Amino acid sequence: MTVNKVRSWIIGILLALGAIAVIVPIGVLFLSSFKTKASVFVISLAPDTFTIHSIVQALTPGLLHALLNSLIVSTAVTVVAMFLHAMAGYALARFDFPFKRATFVVILGSLMIPMTSILVPLYMVVRLMNMTNTMAGLIVPLLFNAYGIFLFRQFYFDFPKELEEAAELDGSGRFGTFLRIVLPLSRPVIVPLTVAFFLGTWNNYLWPLVVNQDKRFETVQVYLANQISGYNTPWNVVIASAAISVIPVFVLFFFLQRQLREGISTTGIK
Amino acid sequence: MGTSQGNARRRRESWAAALFIGPDLIGLVVFVLLPILFAVYVSFFGWNLISPMKFIGLANYRRLATDSDWWLSMGRTLQFAFIYVPVLFAISLGLAVAFTKLTGRTSAGLRSAYLLPFAVTSVIASTLWMFLYQEKTGYLNAFLNLLGIPDQPFIGSPAQAMVSVVVVVLWINLGYTSMLFFSAIRQIPASLLEAARLDGANGWKTFWGITFPLIRPTSVFVVVTSTIASFQILDIILVMTRGGPANATQVGVLYIYKRSFDQLQMGYGSALSVVMFVILLVISLIQLRFTRRNNLEG
Repeated sequence: MTVNKVRSWIIGILLALGAIAVIVPIGVLFLSSFKTKASVFVISLAPDTFTIHSIVQALTPGLLHALLNSLIVSTAVTVVAMFLHAMAGYALARFDFPFKRATFVVILGSLMIPMTSILVPLYMVVRLMNMTNTMAGLIVPLLFNAYGIFLFRQFYFDFPKELEEAAELDGSGRFGTFLRIVLPLSRPVIVPLTVAFFLGTWNNYLWPLVVNQDKRFETVQVYLANQISGYNTPWNVVIASAAISVIPVFVLFFFLQRQLREGISTTGIK
Repeated sequence: MGTSQGNARRRRESWAAALFIGPDLIGLVVFVLLPILFAVYVSFFGWNLISPMKFIGLANYRRLATDSDWWLSMGRTLQFAFIYVPVLFAISLGLAVAFTKLTGRTSAGLRSAYLLPFAVTSVIASTLWMFLYQEKTGYLNAFLNLLGIPDQPFIGSPAQAMVSVVVVVLWINLGYTSMLFFSAIRQIPASLLEAARLDGANGWKTFWGITFPLIRPTSVFVVVTSTIASFQILDIILVMTRGGPANATQVGVLYIYKRSFDQLQMGYGSALSVVMFVILLVISLIQLRFTRRNNLEG
């Protein structure tokens, strides 16, 4: 018993050391935001010249505008995708219809196609649809992710039919039943998927980079990457901007970390 | 229930299904499947997005077969995968096993800590690590100096750039991957491990005899998804090195990106995309085969 205890203490300490190594860069990110251009590379646990100068410098209209754009795009993608995928997953789990197998194969096929591998052709298709440099071009192509459909389908397989039957006896149509009964009870799958879609869209750098050259629609990742310019990079401002733009994601992460851990355990989604 | 009534019901159900699934299906076809077909089509043309497309048959494919820059880039992709996949696998499995040895709250807290970088976006992670990697002034070199190790160039040198990029990707994904292993290990029935212990097997033997074989589906999943991820690594490299120095980090997808968007060779870019796509499809199919066989065995 004592041998086990000693062993778990050693494991705990090693894991904690590893955790510190993993977290230190994030600490550096936040602490360095409170330093000046001169002191940003001076290593210290607490910034001795504690100043919000760099943060004020980082808070340009450009950054705020980019944050707003990212918020709009991520929210739009998440909300619309939840509706679309919940409906599709529900239909696949509940309804019998012609070409159900073929439909399923199309969805299964698209599951194997990561966005990076179709970046060039997707750009060409979106360009043909005159959607480059528009909000729609930033949002619409990110909606269609078959993982969402799959998880909803799996969830609705185990969903008790009785609730829906009761609602339908009360004269509720299929869509009404879905909207009023099924969707509100889908929280267990909606929460992890919301996090996944929101983070995924917020983090996305490549698609906005490729599809949009219009400053009005610049997202925060593109804004940040554009700030790094060779030898003249103002690191104190860049780091402060990065710290500011990571805050919304961290807030989401802290509030939902338990659901996120469970979400990964049960669904394996990102 | 009469047959006609049954037919009516089925028809109503089909309509409902069409309305429920239609929008998603159209979207998937237009924004996922159509691009692939379009890429195959465009790959037979020369096209710079501006002047009209010119049919050139298989010329793009003949060109890529002898394009040494392309094959060199694919070599870089393999180099990335050969470093990234085994290291990710070993460390995250080790972490997962260690997590299971701890009690609930300590384990959960530590797991959250390791998961934290996952919430940092790839652009921010790249920015942050570029800052840490700075030559002469960077934090990492200051730390190495404390240990008596001289300054390292990291992403500034062809020899160290790839490993430096791998470290960043590992930093982001370790926590997530170890969570996958952790939940797989926890699903192993405690009675099996108990029986092994009673038979006198030590921790090491139990791990290789019971745990490792039983988490095989997760292992296969991790190997395949991280291999596919290795072939897709683009955003971090684009921000950190743009393929340099001296093309040391110019991976396959970056080469496609540059040909397509920097040089506007859409026809050639499409042909390269098609080849890359086929490679990924093969990896995915291998995964499907492995997981199917596992399901049958399980």
